[in-house]
Amino acid sequence: MDLILKISWRNILRHRGKSIVIGVILFLGALIMTAGNGVISGMDRGMQKNIVEGFTGDAMLISEKQESDNVFMEFMGKSVATIENFNQINSALVKLSYVKKVLPIGKNFAMALNSEGGIADGVFVLGVDFKKYRDFFGDNLKLVEGNFPDKTNEPFALIPTSWRKMYGEFYSIILSPEGNKPDTSTLGKEILERISDMQNQHDVVYMGMNTENTTTDVRVPVSAIVKYRSLNTIWGQFPILDIESYRECQGYFSAEAKNTDIKKEDELLLSASAESLDDLFSGSEMIDSKGYNNKDAVTLSAGSLASVKEERKNDIDLNDGIFNMILLRFTDKSNLDQTVKMLNKDLSGLNLGVRAIPWKKATGMIGSMAVLIKTSLFLFVMFLFFVAIIIIVNTLSMAALERTSEIGMMRAVGARKSFIRMMFLGETAVLSAVFGGAGIVVGIIAVNIVAAFNIPTDNDMVQLLFGGDTFKPFLSLFDIGLALIQLIIVTLIAVIYPIRVASNIKPLDAISRD
Amino acid sequence: MDIIEIKGLKKDYALGKTTVNAIRGVDLSIEKGDFLSIIGPSGSGKTTLLNIIGCIDHATAGSVKIAGKEITSLNDKKITDIRLHQIGFIFQTFNLIPVLDALENVEFPLLLMKNRTRGEVRKKALSLLDAVGLSEHMHHRPSELSGGQRQRVAIARALVTNPDIVLADEPTANLDSVTGASILDAMRNMNERDHTTFIFSTHDANVLKYARKVIKIRDGLIVEE
Repeated sequence: MDLILKISWRNILRHRGKSIVIGVILFLGALIMTAGNGVISGMDRGMQKNIVEGFTGDAMLISEKQESDNVFMEFMGKSVATIENFNQINSALVKLSYVKKVLPIGKNFAMALNSEGGIADGVFVLGVDFKKYRDFFGDNLKLVEGNFPDKTNEPFALIPTSWRKMYGEFYSIILSPEGNKPDTSTLGKEILERISDMQNQHDVVYMGMNTENTTTDVRVPVSAIVKYRSLNTIWGQFPILDIESYRECQGYFSAEAKNTDIKKEDELLLSASAESLDDLFSGSEMIDSKGYNNKDAVTLSAGSLASVKEERKNDIDLNDGIFNMILLRFTDKSNLDQTVKMLNKDLSGLNLGVRAIPWKKATGMIGSMAVLIKTSLFLFVMFLFFVAIIIIVNTLSMAALERTSEIGMMRAVGARKSFIRMMFLGETAVLSAVFGGAGIVVGIIAVNIVAAFNIPTDNDMVQLLFGGDTFKPFLSLFDIGLALIQLIIVTLIAVIYPIRVASNIKPLDAISRD
Repeated sequence: MDIIEIKGLKKDYALGKTTVNAIRGVDLSIEKGDFLSIIGPSGSGKTTLLNIIGCIDHATAGSVKIAGKEITSLNDKKITDIRLHQIGFIFQTFNLIPVLDALENVEFPLLLMKNRTRGEVRKKALSLLDAVGLSEHMHHRPSELSGGQRQRVAIARALVTNPDIVLADEPTANLDSVTGASILDAMRNMNERDHTTFIFSTHDANVLKYARKVIKIRDGLIVEE
C-alpha cells in the first residue's frame, strides 16, 4: 500500500496539469454538492417550520367520506367532508403516545361579500377555537393591526394582509379592526394610489360555498390584521374565523345549536319567523352573527332563538360541533409516513369514520411543488456530477493511455492488474480527498456565510425554494456525511473506466510503444 | 539442464487483412547459466521470440516450457507471477518508473513479491546498485541519470529478484560503444557470479564477442545455432 500511495502521490505531482483539472472539477463538484445539500436541507427545515409548524401540522385526520386528499388547496370540486364526532376521536387520540397535539378546524370555501351583498373573490376560510389554535401553532401569526381575540366564544375574523390587499383592490374597501388606522405599508401600491377613494370597513361578510349544506351569510368583526410569519402570500388566502361563525356560514351544526338542541331546519324557521318567511326563499339571508350590529346588512332579529342562544352562550363546548379536519402534531417526526400508517392502523378498529393523511398530501400543489423543487435541485446536483464524472473519466482515461509504456513496463516486471487498478484508484482517491475534501469544507463555510445573511424574498415560488421567506441553507452532520458519501461514489464511478483502460494495458504495449 | 524448451513455436500477427508469420516453427533449448545472443536483421523475429520466452507475448502455436513448466496455457495471474519470480527484463529504452528514484526502481519488483521485510528489500537493492556502480546515484530519478546509468539501474532491477532468466532486447542499442561495453561487462559478471541465464538480442556485431552461444534467426526461423 505504501508503494501504491507513493507512486500515486508522485504521479499526481508529476502530471500537475491534469491533476489540477481533475482536482478543480472535484473541488467544484464537492462544493456544489455540499451547498446543494445545504439548500435542500435548509428547504426541508424551512418547510417543516413554515408549512408544518405554521399551517398544517404533521398530519391530519379527515373524514372517510372525503374523496380527495388535497383538503387544503383544491380550488374546484366538493367541499371538505365533515367530522361530527371530534370528542369521540379526541378520546381515542389522547391514548396514543405518539400524538403530541390535536387541533380540530373547519376549512371550506366561501365568498366574501361587500356591504351591498355583491360577491367578491372566493376565499378559503378556516374556522378555529383561537386559544387552541395558538396552542397548536404558537406564534405563526404576526399581529399587524388590532388584537387577537381573547374570549373563547367571541366572533372574530383575522384578516391576512395579502387578502386584505386583494379585497381592497377589488372593492375599494380597506378592512381594519375597529379603532385602528390601517398600516399603509401593507396595503400595496394600487390601494395607496387610490387611497382617497377607499372606504374603511371594520367587518366582513362571508357566504359559505358548501356543496353539502344550505349556507348562510355571516357578518363578523375584523379583530386583527395579521401576517403569516412566512409564505404569507400563500397562507394569506386563508382568513381565520371563530369556529362558530364558520359553522354558521357553512350551514353546519354549530356547538351552540347543538347545545340548545335546535335542529338546523328549526333554527331557520325560528329566524325567519322574526322577519318574513320570504327570507327562507330569498337566498340572500344575512344573519347578524352573535348580535353583531351593522346597519348596512339585512339584520335578522333572532327573536326567541336569540334569547335561548344568549342564555346558553357561556356553557358552549366548541368541540361539540362540526369540523372538517383534525390537525395533528407527532412526538417523532422522523418517519412521517410510517407514523401516519401506524395511526390509521390504531384507529381502524374504532369506527370513528376518519383516516389520517400526511401534510404533503393535504396541501396538494404546495406539497407537490415543494417535493418537485427539492427533487429538481437534487437532479440538478446529480446532473452536475454526471458532467463532472464524464470530464474526470475522459481526463483519467487519457492519462492512462499516455502512460502506456510505464504501465506496460510495470506489468512486464511483475505487477498484477490489481496493482495497476489500485494505483489508479489511489491517484484518484488522493485527488478526491484533497480537492473534494477542500470543496466540502468550503461548501460548509459558504452555507454558513449565506445562512448568516438571511436573504429575504417575497416571491412565492422562491419562498418554496427557500422553505420560507428567508434563505437559510443548513448542513447537519448527516448532510456532511452524505456529501462525503456522494464524493466517494463519484470518485468510484469516475475511476471505473480509466481503471479498466489502465489494467488492460499489456506488458507488450511497453515495448510496442518504443 | 534446460531452463527453456521451445518446440514448434509459431507466432502470427494480423496486419490489416494480411497475416505476418513472425515466427514460423522454432525448436530451441537453452541451458541454465547460458549467456546467449540472438542475432538477426530487423524484422527477423528475434524480439518476438524474446517476448514469448519472457511471457509478455503469446504463441500462436507450439510449446514453451520455462523451468519445466508449460507457459502457453497459463492465465494472466500465473503468467505475471512467472515474470515476477523467474524472469528479469532489460529493455532497449531503459524502461524505468519515472516517479521513483534509482533505488526505488530496483526495489520495485521485490516490493511486489511481498515476501521480504522492508530492511531486506533495501539491503538487496543497495547491494545490486553497488554491483552496477550506482551507489552514489541511488536517490536520483531516471530523468537525472544518463542513458548508461539508467540501463545499469534496469540491470540491477532485472536481477534483484534472483530470476532464472534475464532477457535483454538490444540492451546497448541506445548507448555509445564504451557505455555499451560496460553494460555487457556487468551482465557477463552477473552471469558468471550467479549463473543467471542471459538471453539478449542484438544486430551489433561488437556485442557478439561477449556471447558464449549465438543463435542466428532469419524470417522467423533459426538458421544457425
